[in-house]
Amino acid sequence: MDTLLPIEADPTRLASLAARGRRPEFTDDPMLDRLYSVALVLTAELAITRLRLDAVERMLGRGDDVSRATVDEFKPEPHEAAERARLQREYLDRVFRALTAEGQRKAG
Amino acid sequence: MTPASWYQVGRHALLPEAGHDDVARFDVIAQLNTLLADRLAPAVRATYEQVAAPAWEAKHGRAPANRKEVAEALAHQPAYRAWSLVRRNTMEYRQHTGRALALRQMRKLRDRAREFNDGADTLHLDPQLDIPKYVASVDTHLMPGGYACEVVDGDVCNAASYDSGLFATLGGAGGPWNDAAGRALVAWLARHAPDFSPRTIVDLGCGLGHNTLPLRCAFPSARVVAIDVAAPFLRYGHARARSLGIDDLEFRQEDATHTSLPSGSCDLVFTTMVLHETSHDALRKILSEAKRLLAPGGLTIHLEQPPYRQFDAYEQFMRDWDGRYNNEPFWSALHETDVPSLLRSTGFEAANVFETRCSAPLVRERTQAEGAVVEDFGRAPSWYAIGAWQTAHGNVVKGEYGHGHTPADRS
Ligand SMILES: C[S@@+](CC[C@H](N)C(=O)[O-])C[C@H]1O[C@@H](n2cnc3c(N)ncnc32)[C@H](O)[C@@H]1O
Repeated sequence: MDTLLPIEADPTRLASLAARGRRPEFTDDPMLDRLYSVALVLTAELAITRLRLDAVERMLGRGDDVSRATVDEFKPEPHEAAERARLQREYLDRVFRALTAEGQRKAG
Repeated sequence: MTPASWYQVGRHALLPEAGHDDVARFDVIAQLNTLLADRLAPAVRATYEQVAAPAWEAKHGRAPANRKEVAEALAHQPAYRAWSLVRRNTMEYRQHTGRALALRQMRKLRDRAREFNDGADTLHLDPQLDIPKYVASVDTHLMPGGYACEVVDGDVCNAASYDSGLFATLGGAGGPWNDAAGRALVAWLARHAPDFSPRTIVDLGCGLGHNTLPLRCAFPSARVVAIDVAAPFLRYGHARARSLGIDDLEFRQEDATHTSLPSGSCDLVFTTMVLHETSHDALRKILSEAKRLLAPGGLTIHLEQPPYRQFDAYEQFMRDWDGRYNNEPFWSALHETDVPSLLRSTGFEAANVFETRCSAPLVRERTQAEGAVVEDFGRAPSWYAIGAWQTAHGNVVKGEYGHGHTPADRS
């Protein structure tokens, strides 16, 4: 199979491979499309950092031992999961406000 | 609607190990999909109704009447372009996330699959099988490499990525095991054909078997055969089923257009989410193959997205986005195809062909491994389905979908 790669191949680079096929452009400037791609992922990665901070705060609040390994094992209680979901939703609403119907509403 | 957190995904031995940030990444992806549906898509509709459609109408003297005309009206509107950009990039990000997670533990996952698969007589791989070109050459729904690609010997990476990412894409709507379509089919059978007890069940294009397992659990004494062309998905799915305590489900690497199973040997032949991923040619051949496999009184049924004729022009255009931009080359054609008439052309009697809806039950129930409780997080996903009963010879096949005919009428 032509996609067979040696096991030593760098998984990080492998994971970055784009799907085959033409990538659509939705703006009139290819750089603007790329900028959207960067902005979307940057937005998401910042949300992840915020969630990790949230996990650390909750663990400190409980008096848990905080280390890289224990944060990776963190599991929110149901009410904490709901709060974390609300945190993310509000954050995404702020970032993407300009693209929503409310954000575009004309005055009048 | 708040999507379920990836912390609630069903755990089995093949699921990639995920740390905090991996889980958070999937959760943000689920939230982005919710944002798209709840906040950005309404902005597209508002633009269409208030700006784009009136402008098109002013020019043409009538409202857009089909999805091509809706496209003309909307394609350059910022709301539509922004929604598309977020949607496309969210899907790419989901693929990247799932694959990065799986690829970084590819050897571990491969070895774990081998522990369950080596020597098992329920996994039949055929390295000589010709992978259909439309599977091998298309990175369906932006999955780099597609279903059949292997990065290492014995690879399971794309299946592991598919399994973990699907939960995020569905926001948990498929339940922890991503098996809502299978559960919906089981519920449909219980309601519409309560006396139907298939002895041989075949899932064509089973993927990693998400939707095969509910059938296996509902009919414990049946022989259940799951068929797909993609070895990585079969390896992963077979090991996953075993790790959930299901060790008599057969996974076979075969082409669903011409399987090795004898004619008339199966009572239930079904597909879930397969028809929209098959070529013009393969679609017809898969439907014929199902017909060939059916025993008297048997049922074939296919769960899918509804055909476009059920929707207005705007809704058709929005639903067709996957066909345009999500590497789903057969999506548009399938949704414009009259599948019931194709089924009739394979030889089913017109009165035995039907269209219906299958909905996953909203109850907590045990359908998977002993002890695993299935939750659907308060949603009831539902599918359009097309099916046909094989004429019976004395079998009792009941249900309103035989158009009220008795089994004798059908024979
Ligand atoms: C979207 S997946 C659906 C998987 C599964 N039925 C589910 O519901 O999760 C489509 C599957 O169809 C398989 N497929 C497509 N054409 C096929 C063919 N001719 N024979 C067997 N499998 C096929 C692909 O390999 C892929 O696994």
